[in-house]
Amino acid sequence: MLDATLPGAALSLEGVSLTLASPAGPVQILRGVDFSVAAGERVAVLGPSGCGKSSMIAVAAGLERPSRGLVRLLGRDLAPLGEDERALLRRGAVTLVFQAFHLLANMTAEENIAAPLEIAGERGAGAKARDWLARVGLERRGGHYPHQLSGGEQQRVALARAMAAGPRLLFADEPTGNLDAANAGHVADLMFAMAAETGAALVLVTHEESLAARADRRVAMADGRMVADG
Amino acid sequence: MAEAPLALRLAARELRAGFRGFWIFLACIALGVAAIAAAGSTAQAFRMGLASQAREIVGGDLAVTIQQRQFAPAEQAALGRIGAVSYAVAVRAMAEAPSGERRLVELRGVSGAWPLAGKVELAGGRSLRQALTPSGPAAGAAVEAPLLDRMGLHLGDRFMVGNAPVAVQAILVSEPDRLARGFTLGPSVLTRLKTVIDGGFLGAGIPFSETARIAIPAWESLGEARARVRRALGREPLGGGYRIRDRNDAAPGVRHLIDQLEYFLGFIGLASLAAGGLGVAGAVNAHLEASKGDIAILKVFGAGGALVRDIHLIQIGSMAAVGIVIGLAVGAAIPPLLGATVAASLPVPALFGVYPWPLIKAAAFGLLSTAAFALISLGRARASSPSVLLRRDVADPPAMGVELLAASCAALALAALAVVSAPTPAAAAVMIGGAAAAFALLWVLGWGAASAAGRLRAGTRGPLRMGLANLAGPRSAARTATPSVGLGVALVTTVVLIQSSLIAQVAAVAPRTAPALIFTEIPAARGAEYDRAVARAFGRPLSSADYLRAPFATGRIVKVRGAAIERARIDRSRRWAYDNDISLSVIGPEPPLADVVSGRWWPTNYSGPPLAALSQDAASGADIKVGDTIGIAVLGREIDARVAALRKVEYAGFGANFPLVLDPAALAGAELSNVAIAKASGAEEARVARALGRDFPSVNVISVRDQLKAAADLFGRLALAVRAVASVVAVSGVLVLVGAIAAGARERAREAAILEVLGATRAQVLAASGIEYGAVGLIAGTAGVGLGYLAAWPAVVEVFRADWSVDWAAIAVLLAASPAVAAAGGLIAAGQALRRRPARALRGS
Repeated sequence: MLDATLPGAALSLEGVSLTLASPAGPVQILRGVDFSVAAGERVAVLGPSGCGKSSMIAVAAGLERPSRGLVRLLGRDLAPLGEDERALLRRGAVTLVFQAFHLLANMTAEENIAAPLEIAGERGAGAKARDWLARVGLERRGGHYPHQLSGGEQQRVALARAMAAGPRLLFADEPTGNLDAANAGHVADLMFAMAAETGAALVLVTHEESLAARADRRVAMADGRMVADG
Repeated sequence: MAEAPLALRLAARELRAGFRGFWIFLACIALGVAAIAAAGSTAQAFRMGLASQAREIVGGDLAVTIQQRQFAPAEQAALGRIGAVSYAVAVRAMAEAPSGERRLVELRGVSGAWPLAGKVELAGGRSLRQALTPSGPAAGAAVEAPLLDRMGLHLGDRFMVGNAPVAVQAILVSEPDRLARGFTLGPSVLTRLKTVIDGGFLGAGIPFSETARIAIPAWESLGEARARVRRALGREPLGGGYRIRDRNDAAPGVRHLIDQLEYFLGFIGLASLAAGGLGVAGAVNAHLEASKGDIAILKVFGAGGALVRDIHLIQIGSMAAVGIVIGLAVGAAIPPLLGATVAASLPVPALFGVYPWPLIKAAAFGLLSTAAFALISLGRARASSPSVLLRRDVADPPAMGVELLAASCAALALAALAVVSAPTPAAAAVMIGGAAAAFALLWVLGWGAASAAGRLRAGTRGPLRMGLANLAGPRSAARTATPSVGLGVALVTTVVLIQSSLIAQVAAVAPRTAPALIFTEIPAARGAEYDRAVARAFGRPLSSADYLRAPFATGRIVKVRGAAIERARIDRSRRWAYDNDISLSVIGPEPPLADVVSGRWWPTNYSGPPLAALSQDAASGADIKVGDTIGIAVLGREIDARVAALRKVEYAGFGANFPLVLDPAALAGAELSNVAIAKASGAEEARVARALGRDFPSVNVISVRDQLKAAADLFGRLALAVRAVASVVAVSGVLVLVGAIAAGARERAREAAILEVLGATRAQVLAASGIEYGAVGLIAGTAGVGLGYLAAWPAVVEVFRADWSVDWAAIAVLLAASPAVAAAGGLIAAGQALRRRPARALRGS
């Protein structure tokens, strides 16, 4: 259910700060971030390493609680939600793709794609997974385990897994960072095509200008702050 | 549980990875379960063996024993109407070889119908009937081989028992009812009942028993037969009268021993499960650590914490089930295999087989211990944050949920099951409480050692600094392996120290302090004459320091403070003084070393109302204090005596060691036979026994030295087996250590590679690892030995009442072996890590 005050917004962060404890004392990761993404909008987040991009995604996706500020995901304020309630909110609606793929090691490519569908209680998860495997060009690799796939193949499986549930918002944290140029291009093409096809909003964290250029909007972060938007 | 099918499906996919990372987990569970299952199965095999031969062991369906008299003709007639009856009398007597060699024997006279059940096994080629047929003036007898060996006799030889000539016509190999008769002081001489009666062995004042064994018709119930026996023999007279056993209660002493054996072995298994518990927890933690990414991904895609926990609960549960099944299979297989190896020398009949109840019990122990050690970690899977995917340094939140509650309940249920299934729950509770306290102490010590290592490393350098840094680090083996290794070492130490003290007691202490000879059945009227005969036989004057004689009787405390004794309300460990007749004496002046701890001994020539001096041990059972009145059934009457003194009685020492002493006036007029004790060398023993045979043939001479030697031999034979069993716990400790090493293998390879890149030599890397694990072994070993010492001391001094004696050689071995084994493990781990090329190890990380 979308917030009435932000019609059509898939995500909004208002004054979000994140401070984490460390042996050397508290470390401030995010400092009053304001950021929003409209439904179906494709936003690229740029910035140097350690500027807080991944932490911003973690907070935005409800994986991390902010120290301060307001996070609305698909219109819901995350603050009062517990860990399980946030998981339910993400279920089938918000997905992530990571630089390190993070496929389930003991499941085949097909099972990896089916797992979120099964968690969401969808019928025919297997057939849908096979369909998505075909869409990323891996229809012959469904029975292979992650360690039997190349990096590019693994990321295509991860992308299919993320899109199979038909999400309204996709976070992608440097999805091509571990891939060579050819594979990176292929994965990027698939990601933008799928987002366009399904109408999902996309938040893409990247270092690559060429990739960022394909987004509708670019924002820049530095030292835990949003320093440029648009 | 709506998501249970989904959890099952996802867990099944994870389980396809097989046992990878779970070998230590499986081994820890399987080892403990196997030990408990083997203990239970062995005990059950003995119980079933006893039950299957119960009729043979009893010698019929019922056995009725009376003391100091034979069954009257009317009683025999009444018993004969119940079923077929055999009669057997047993009396202690002195056997004398033609060489003059004398030895105490158990003379048994049996009627023609004996044995009603089972078979007598004889060597020498004759049947029982032939063996017991008189040979001229000599009674025919079957004799146990140890007597023949000791007295230099052979088949066909003759010797004397008391004044009766006896011919050895067969060697007695086994008797069907031997087990039910329990401990005897001498080898058996089996002859006809008539021989014993005619030989004057059943005269007044000589302790003997007669047992009627009855085979009842198939249609008659045991209960009815017992009732008919009671009607035939009348009401139970004072002090016991008769005792009935039946085939359902064939050998209560042996059964109790089997219960204790099962508990001891089971406790070893339980301790092994506890020691291995950290291996289980470590393996679960390592599994969850390795699955951290997968867990987070599932949560990212909307899986709730409970679903994630259940997926891993199913996995861990399945692995535990495999471990339990392996343990049950091994535990069920060991007893028959061992039984087949030592079948011939088993003292108790055994029916080996697969018995469900011991296996169910072992499985329950395995399941509960796994739950107690694994569930807390599973709580972390539920509560962990999915942000670990984006940041590696996310710490898991403390899991204080339902898993902690369930783990606590499992731990309590484990302890409760161990206590209620023990033959002596109070002792079990003490043992389990002690083990739990030791475990907790070792756990604190492990954490303390890791913390201390962190502080100590500041002042060190090189491999020592690296070793201490690892010891202080997040994967410190000090925290994971110290409790398990320490508990194993503690248990082995406890067993070693108890054994060494008991062996020293029977082999060294008792021969110094206990009498070497005990003389019984000394006629009361010839006491002074006997003293002179003994002095002559010794060839030297005897003082009270090496010879004592006192009147002797047996009696039973039946009332305290005017009320009948309620045995059921007396603690089992102190009930001995009220279960049976106890030995008593009448003594006038206070004897040397009387050790009165409260009250006062009566004056010389006291002639007032009866007074008693009671051992404080016996008194404590019924809470008897100085001044209380006790009723004593003795010599067929009951007397009331006031307790004048409580004394400490050292039964193994040299002195008037009677639990109950009365003033002489209390039993005035009764003619009590005397007993005497003497210290003697080995040569004096044989000389005295021979010399007394001439003038006092009816006096029994018991060689304590022989009994102590037999006990020492038995302890020696058992020592190795018991230590081997106890070392199962140490094996669990080693498994946990191996698990800790394995869990850190990948990290260790990375560290070794970094150190090599930084210029460290292989020797330095090996030394650092050796120092780290050697320190763990040293800490755990030293603490384990200390805890074992603390546990063994009260057991030796308070429970076994033996002198404290330390086997320093064994302690030194334990102290040296713990760090050596641990350091060797560390060196092997480092050696493995160094085998990976640095570049590959770093790329893998």
